[in-house]
Amino acid sequence: MEDTHYVVLKKENFDQFISTLAQKQKLVAPVPKGFKSFAFEPVDSAGQVALKYIPTVLPLKKYFMPQRETLLEYRAGKVMKAEAVVEYEPLTIFGAHTCDLAGIQCLNMVFSERPKDYNYLTRKNKITLIGLECNEYCDAYASCNLVDASFPGGGYDLFFTDLGDDFVVHVNTRAGDEIVASTRSFDKTEPFQLDELRKLRDAKRKIFVNEVPIETKHIPELFDRSFRARAWKDLEARCLACGNCTNVCPTCYCFDIRDELDLTLKNGIRYRVWDSCQLEPFAKVAGGFNFRKERSVRQRHRYYRKFRYPMERFARYFCTGCGRCTRTCMADINLKETLNELLKESEDRVWKRWL
Amino acid sequence: MKKPKVAFFDFACCEGCQLQVANMGETVLDVLGLIEVVEWREVMSEKWGKKVDVAIVEGSITDLHAVERIKKIRKRAGAVIAYGSCATIGGVNGMKNNFPLEDIKHYVYGDSHRFFPTEQTKAVHQVVPVDYFVHGCPVYIPEFVAVLKAALQGIPYYPPDYPVCVECKLNENVCMYDRGVSCLGPVTRAGCNSWCINNGNICYGCRGMVSNPNEKGAKDVIAKYKIPMELVLNKMNMYNKCRELD
Repeated sequence: MEDTHYVVLKKENFDQFISTLAQKQKLVAPVPKGFKSFAFEPVDSAGQVALKYIPTVLPLKKYFMPQRETLLEYRAGKVMKAEAVVEYEPLTIFGAHTCDLAGIQCLNMVFSERPKDYNYLTRKNKITLIGLECNEYCDAYASCNLVDASFPGGGYDLFFTDLGDDFVVHVNTRAGDEIVASTRSFDKTEPFQLDELRKLRDAKRKIFVNEVPIETKHIPELFDRSFRARAWKDLEARCLACGNCTNVCPTCYCFDIRDELDLTLKNGIRYRVWDSCQLEPFAKVAGGFNFRKERSVRQRHRYYRKFRYPMERFARYFCTGCGRCTRTCMADINLKETLNELLKESEDRVWKRWL
Repeated sequence: MKKPKVAFFDFACCEGCQLQVANMGETVLDVLGLIEVVEWREVMSEKWGKKVDVAIVEGSITDLHAVERIKKIRKRAGAVIAYGSCATIGGVNGMKNNFPLEDIKHYVYGDSHRFFPTEQTKAVHQVVPVDYFVHGCPVYIPEFVAVLKAALQGIPYYPPDYPVCVECKLNENVCMYDRGVSCLGPVTRAGCNSWCINNGNICYGCRGMVSNPNEKGAKDVIAKYKIPMELVLNKMNMYNKCRELD
């Protein structure tokens, strides 16, 4: 494989490409659901695929860490027997935007930490990821440039850029190479196509600018100054604690583990389900004490888990700028607005110190 | 090991939640393999009248006869499961509490009302202690099975204390508010796997409200979507009127 390896897929070959892919193994892609909503769902023809879409209701994490997943099968009684279970299926994902690819990169880091999460890692190795570039903003809720996620930054096997008549495709891994070879839908790039790609990226650099007036590297500092900010208190009256913001977040990975016996009351399974720090029982402990009783404290925690704490642990932001949390919030809690308020408050404080 | 004795009882209700047991499909065989049903008016004519390990009670308590009967059932039952919205939160019977009792009596029984003394509708736990709650109108069978297993093992069951939105998002439904329809999901306790919304309906709040609802926030959201407050309150009261007696 060459260092920078590009191929071209003509639009007239797109349907053939999608149907060939779908025959090889399960293929999912963004599909319109009406009411400006999209979801990744199984497809077998190009007609089903939405090439222009705003981030789906749920991010790709639903394939990497399913909403409910069995971890263990056991037999209770005098002799205990338990067997670990890993549920996975080979899968191709087509059409992942750069924000969602960044989300998977974050999850990969989390689940590769020791003790490694073999359920996640085994499943991840069975998933082929094909990205799709955003030529312009999906909508006003996105803040991907702020967190360096508006341009492709790896984490995919193939990456498609729509240039009108054809796609220029970056081949990033051996798995990507194999798809190019086996689907037989691709052509070699002409120099003018790579030129067009360069022009598109230049144009994008003008469109995509930091959505909040702060330099990306200064965000942790802002959060260091903002733990007691008024902005958090304002969220107390607004947040409904419905957990939508975390369930749709591409990097929220908290889960709960539960045991369940079958109706013989002898055999059981241990499974995990998504959990959310925004929910009332999340930080409730024996005796009924709740460590994060207030909704504002739970919201603050969510923001710090995106912009401050992971900086320390993984040296990257766990916000990918997809805008899902804002789009889904019935109470209009808006990520960009919150950051703007924090900025304003912290500037006020800095000024006061000078005066 | 002897099978635990289980009895079904009904008070003011449509008995539809008991019918859900018949809707279980094959699971009903596994359930019956685990328990001995000794009393169940809807499906058998035998009466037991003695101690039972688990009493499954459907319906709300609406008159003095019912109060006496539920107290007797409580005395002879190891564990009491309030079964279905009428039993767990008063349910639709609670709408009675919107009107003065005198008016209700006259409206329903006319001149003969003095032969039919009546009381405000109450959920079962507002009259006798209840060990387990299976919310829903009708109950969600997977949750009933989970509660039954917990009761037979003698361990507690905690119904989820977060809104239906959580399960609805996990099922990746398009939000009803995005469709321009009001839905009680944001304030209603989950546990039904967003059953209604999965099938294109809205949430009617049949499982009761979460323990710590943000009422002011919910009002703001209702205002934002330009939904008349009265409409929402009427929807809330359809199932949740008895909340005032808690």
